[in-house]
Amino acid sequence: MILSSPFDKEPNSVTEIMLWVIAATLPGLFALVYFFGIGIIINILIASITAIVTEALILKLRKRPVKATLFDGSALVTAWLIGLALPPLLPWWMIVVGTAFAITFVKQVYGGLGNNLFNPAMVAYVLLLISFPVQMTSWLPPSELAQNPVGITDTLSYIFTGSGTNGQDIINARQGIDGFTMATPLDHVRTELAQGYRITEIQSSPIISGLSGIGWQWINLAFLLGGLILIIRKIAAWQIPAGVLAGIFLMSLLLYFTDNDQYLSPLFHWFAGATMLGAFFIATDPVTASTTAKGRWLFGLGIGIITVLIRTFGGYPDAIAFAVLLMNMAVPMIDYYTKPKAYGHKTNKGAAADV
Amino acid sequence: MERSSFTSEIPVFEIPGGIHPKENKTLSNQTPIAELPIAKELIINLKGQAGKRSMPIVEAGDYVLKGQIIAKSDGVFSSYQHAPTSGTVKAIEKRPIAHASGLQDLCIVIESDGRDQWCDRNPVSDYHNLSREQILARIFESGIVGLGGASFPSHIKLQRQEGVNTLIINAAECEPYISCDDRLLQENAKEVLQGAQIISHLYHDLNIIVGIEDNKPLAIEALDKARKELAFESLKIGVIPTKYPSGGEKQLIQLLTSKEVPKGKLPADLGLIMHNVGTCFAIYEAILHGKPLVERVVTLTGNACANKGNFKVPFGTPFSHLLDFCQAQEATKIIMGGPMMGFEVKNFNVGIVKATNCIIMAGANELANNQTELACIRCGACMEVCPASLLPQQLYWYAKSDEFDKAEEYDLFDCIECGACAYVCPSNIPLVQYYRYAKSNIRNNRIEKVKSDKARQRHEARLERLERVKREKAERHRKAAETRRKAAEAAGQNDAKKAAVAAALARVQAKKTQTKEETNSSEEPEA
Repeated sequence: MILSSPFDKEPNSVTEIMLWVIAATLPGLFALVYFFGIGIIINILIASITAIVTEALILKLRKRPVKATLFDGSALVTAWLIGLALPPLLPWWMIVVGTAFAITFVKQVYGGLGNNLFNPAMVAYVLLLISFPVQMTSWLPPSELAQNPVGITDTLSYIFTGSGTNGQDIINARQGIDGFTMATPLDHVRTELAQGYRITEIQSSPIISGLSGIGWQWINLAFLLGGLILIIRKIAAWQIPAGVLAGIFLMSLLLYFTDNDQYLSPLFHWFAGATMLGAFFIATDPVTASTTAKGRWLFGLGIGIITVLIRTFGGYPDAIAFAVLLMNMAVPMIDYYTKPKAYGHKTNKGAAADV
Repeated sequence: MERSSFTSEIPVFEIPGGIHPKENKTLSNQTPIAELPIAKELIINLKGQAGKRSMPIVEAGDYVLKGQIIAKSDGVFSSYQHAPTSGTVKAIEKRPIAHASGLQDLCIVIESDGRDQWCDRNPVSDYHNLSREQILARIFESGIVGLGGASFPSHIKLQRQEGVNTLIINAAECEPYISCDDRLLQENAKEVLQGAQIISHLYHDLNIIVGIEDNKPLAIEALDKARKELAFESLKIGVIPTKYPSGGEKQLIQLLTSKEVPKGKLPADLGLIMHNVGTCFAIYEAILHGKPLVERVVTLTGNACANKGNFKVPFGTPFSHLLDFCQAQEATKIIMGGPMMGFEVKNFNVGIVKATNCIIMAGANELANNQTELACIRCGACMEVCPASLLPQQLYWYAKSDEFDKAEEYDLFDCIECGACAYVCPSNIPLVQYYRYAKSNIRNNRIEKVKSDKARQRHEARLERLERVKREKAERHRKAAETRRKAAEAAGQNDAKKAAVAAALARVQAKKTQTKEETNSSEEPEA
């Protein structure tokens, strides 16, 4: 074969990009572990093993080179994001089902890396969310608010047997210091609003504090930090998170202005739930995001707006996953209509006077 | 690498994209341009320029002097070729040529006699006395083509006079490794500028701008000095930041004027013409010294090259001669041109051509790309560096799946094949290769379409003709029958015998005309 130019090559690789993504999630991961215990790490481990085994099996079935593809790191990133998104004491087999489904039906069935239409991690999340809504919305209280803090052995016991080491129910672990079952700040606000409380009243709850809620604000700040590393290293396209945050901001500001006692502030939306994880790590999956500069803005804005709408008016407390999947569907169209003008196709506007 | 502190004398604009590969210019730009011993055998490729093959006017056995015309332009789109040294024409035959695929083509092979003796030259002391046509004719007959790499015949580029107001001298030399223009300016800036003045004279005075990257501080200094010596103060030096591919014609125009050459138009439509430093020097030599283009400055470089530097090399000098001179036995790869747009030469018995600006003799691990090709993850790194603002990731997708109409819709033909996309691709996809594949397929399809359209038209014309003949035949039969019937009626029932005779006569008559017409119609020429 004639190898054509160029002969020079920047030393970079897909694996390097994937490893950077994983590295950049570490601040967020530490924050999650700090507030919710090591359940998250177990999630990631189970998801990673499942992803790699599934990917290897399917590649073998598809008669593709296993080694070259398996170690591109993409399956690991999917697993890692699934692990970060799931609640900490989820039964192990649910993680396996979700991850295996994502790798098999969302990634490999479409033709493997680069060909999938939908974000695999988010499909796994949504699949589990609609199949097991109770477990999937059972977040623990942040450690400082927990009535019965969960230790390492208890965590493992809950994940692998469904109950604590002494046979206690998972409800036990979810109890807050006030004796009530804890929910995430977003979930809490939504339930209270449904019961007719006003935002000002809800804000007196112990879980709500600072930018959003105890724990969650720090988790979001940590993911924001990691995300900025991705942007600075040019691993992720900056337009997407900028679009997501702008979309959330604009939509929630609009609602906030109409009634600030009924709708959450833009700042709360920014630092609650999966906003920063979603904006910097999930929406930026290049395979399923828009690939043009303008398109990335639109893609991000769409996610932001849909997220606020579902959080406010929909049936689920958080909505990053749904928003990402909905916008994934719009990507081919966005890409088509945002093709940049190539050299020589523009009119010579603002050209310099004759030199 | 050292950057020039010289401030650009004209505003410099931005181009989208671009990359910063390792420049590697200091490997070769530290020593003056030198000469090489002449090779025993020179192989001059008759298709050594853009366009068509030149037509040989010598025969095997002829003795030729250096500078003597050995091949003429086909008159439309090719150029003259001259004997690069004195010697005997050994053969005019098919030889491998400097081409990516190792093609063969017609070459004039000259055995040098070692004397390197010039033919009679005809220098002009004052070209101001010559008419535009006379100067153009000299440039044409001196075999001058663009020496930046494309080898486009210069006389064609200089033909259009109307509306042109600015000459840009392309001294950007943005490809890594190459330093022939840099050295030429350092040593012959004055001559280069005089060449530019000749071009300017052709148009009755142009604004002249030199576009040069800031990684050539010495060349910029030399230009500044030469300008003073020539009292050529109207010359403007446009210093652009070093970035690949700033030296592309369209890119340099955008950098220096902020204008884009509209699709399907030429720089001349914006009032601009651009010529390379080497071309200006060649024009100077051709007019003021009567020297046709028989040699050029070639950068010999790469880690496996023991004699790195720039050399005046006669055209047709075999690669093997140069490799021997550079003791490049250890080279892992020989590249003609730069690392970004050049191609690998596998057969070393090919002669250098007018476009050979650089030969890289790559050492171990130099320009060696060992990564495996992975799937495209649509990261868009290629899009960020594309100087033509294309979507290389989409073009790749459509080229790979043979969706050529889609690829065209995504402006495949605006791709200048600079290779920036492939350089940054984390999946190590040879993107340019896919684009070349799609382009050549589309070009072939177009040719096929023209052919099939013609065939279809011919076929339709034939069917129509056959149909017409059939209709005419039927009409004749009908008329004959009519005549018979009338004849029978005229004869009336009273004389049946007469009627039978009349009918027979009518039949004969009808048959006669029919044969005659059929002969006619078969003689009808093919549509």
